[in-house]
Amino acid sequence: MKHNEIDTGILRAYLDGEVNGDRVSALTEHVDTCAECQAEMKVLSSHAASVRGGLDFLPQPAAAGVAPTWSALQLRLGQPAANAPARWSPWRTWSLAAGGAVAIAAVLAFTVAPVRGWAENLLSIFRMEHIAVVELNPDAVNALENDQLMRRMISADVTQTEAPQKPQPVADAATASKLAGFQIRLIAGETPALLLFRTPISAQLKLDRDRLQSILDEAGRSDVQIPQSADGAVISMRVPAGIIAMYGNCGDAFEHFQGKQPRASAIQPEDGSCVRLNEVPSPTVTAPQQLDTAEIVRAALQFAGLSASEAANFTQTIDWTSTFVMPILHGQLSYEKVSVGGNDGALLRPKNQQSGQFTLHWVDNGILYSLMGTGDNTAALNLASQIE
Amino acid sequence: MGMAGTWTEAEFESIFRDQFARIVRVVRRVLRSDAEAEEVCADAFLKLYRIGPDGIAEDTTGAWLYRVATRSAIDRLRRHKSRGFGEQLDASRGDVADGLESDPLCRLVREERIAEVRFALARLKAEKAQVLLLRHSGLSYQEIAAAMLIRPASVGTMLARAEAEFSKVYQRQQRLSKRAPRLQAANHEDLSLGTPTKEG
Repeated sequence: MKHNEIDTGILRAYLDGEVNGDRVSALTEHVDTCAECQAEMKVLSSHAASVRGGLDFLPQPAAAGVAPTWSALQLRLGQPAANAPARWSPWRTWSLAAGGAVAIAAVLAFTVAPVRGWAENLLSIFRMEHIAVVELNPDAVNALENDQLMRRMISADVTQTEAPQKPQPVADAATASKLAGFQIRLIAGETPALLLFRTPISAQLKLDRDRLQSILDEAGRSDVQIPQSADGAVISMRVPAGIIAMYGNCGDAFEHFQGKQPRASAIQPEDGSCVRLNEVPSPTVTAPQQLDTAEIVRAALQFAGLSASEAANFTQTIDWTSTFVMPILHGQLSYEKVSVGGNDGALLRPKNQQSGQFTLHWVDNGILYSLMGTGDNTAALNLASQIE
Repeated sequence: MGMAGTWTEAEFESIFRDQFARIVRVVRRVLRSDAEAEEVCADAFLKLYRIGPDGIAEDTTGAWLYRVATRSAIDRLRRHKSRGFGEQLDASRGDVADGLESDPLCRLVREERIAEVRFALARLKAEKAQVLLLRHSGLSYQEIAAAMLIRPASVGTMLARAEAEFSKVYQRQQRLSKRAPRLQAANHEDLSLGTPTKEG
């Protein structure tokens, strides 16, 4: 065997007797006469001894409690994964959607095969122009949340480059438009009780190959392999500045946005007259080009609990570079596809509630709108049609 | 197999009884108690159950369990930083079975050693800590490759790198510990607080 055919890994395996039988004699012959290999093996042996010496201190279990653990596990097998009720709020949807965008971007990034480089000129920007709703299994989502897998993935490697600030009241639509950088639209003939400006949020996700692989493994997607070269790559996401307009009696909504907790005796509930309108230009995700987006989003959806066929059906109908995917939890919300001013929209309602609350989302000319209020579908669409 | 995508209880119990003890043995080394190790392993089995047989490639169930359980254990190890890496050795158990280790001072020394090793493991990238844990728990290169989803030919390289890094961190940690006055201070405390237990 030639010296240049031997590397550290082979020598380490040789020390452990883990080199394939047919190569052992050739390797032995070389090592016996190669001072360089002998020196390297001495270092490798010393490191291995150091590890062995250390790890030998670590305790062993007295005896694994197989029977009692099986009995306890049996009780858990029949239970749903959820143990925290999933709460519905527009912000939850938005954060899930934003988190999903980052997660999908992250997954997108490592599917470039082979990953040739991560230079800025390989990146492209996705802008959301349409809305699509995907129903997720709440057990799967709660399992992710309870395991903190998603949170770990999103939080541990994310750097906020523009941190969210508390929304600030502004005097009028002209000021709001100037601050937000786009022409805001309000309900015709109505003066908002409160108009808030929300600062932009941007974040960078640094890919940690080990972490992502672990998440995939735990999700049973061990067939998706993240190349080592993806480690350390950076994905950027930006939610531009936006506005929130409130009409009618929205109770303590402003205090809520300010992060203040009113005293129990001073809580002012909102009533059926409350209408909230959020406007924000499409969030952007900067991710590597040359991606098989459908394949990857299919994996991401399966990761979030859809079956392979459901994920495949869904992905066939979506242009992932321009669609804002809104995840909702199956059984907790009902939704309908609607048209708002000729644009596709999604009208969502909490299930099993008589309150008549709705949330209507649509994208118009690059701006994402969310309208929340109380009333039937006709009332919701009428209200949306009055925005100008 | 049960309905498409689900385990029958009998086949799942068979996997559990076959694999549980050996996986607990590996993860226990980095966790602070038998109970914690069993909890981590039980969670891995629960994930396996929920994924169902369709989510796992054939003949890779054991490797999958090793991967998920050791990764979870190492994540926990890293989170233990704020609480310290050592553990309170129990003189009534096999941990301290010999006469010397039932002595409080010897026990304290061993607890510190355990903390040093775990600290060094927690400093490594999770993948490196995992390969050390698996190899030094007796898994073959083939088994490690299956558990870590790498080629068997890459195990030697990964192991060599992990061992080099561990040695560096561990030796530095040992040097620092020698300088630290913890032991001397402990030595002057009333060691009888931990009542020596004479074995057998």
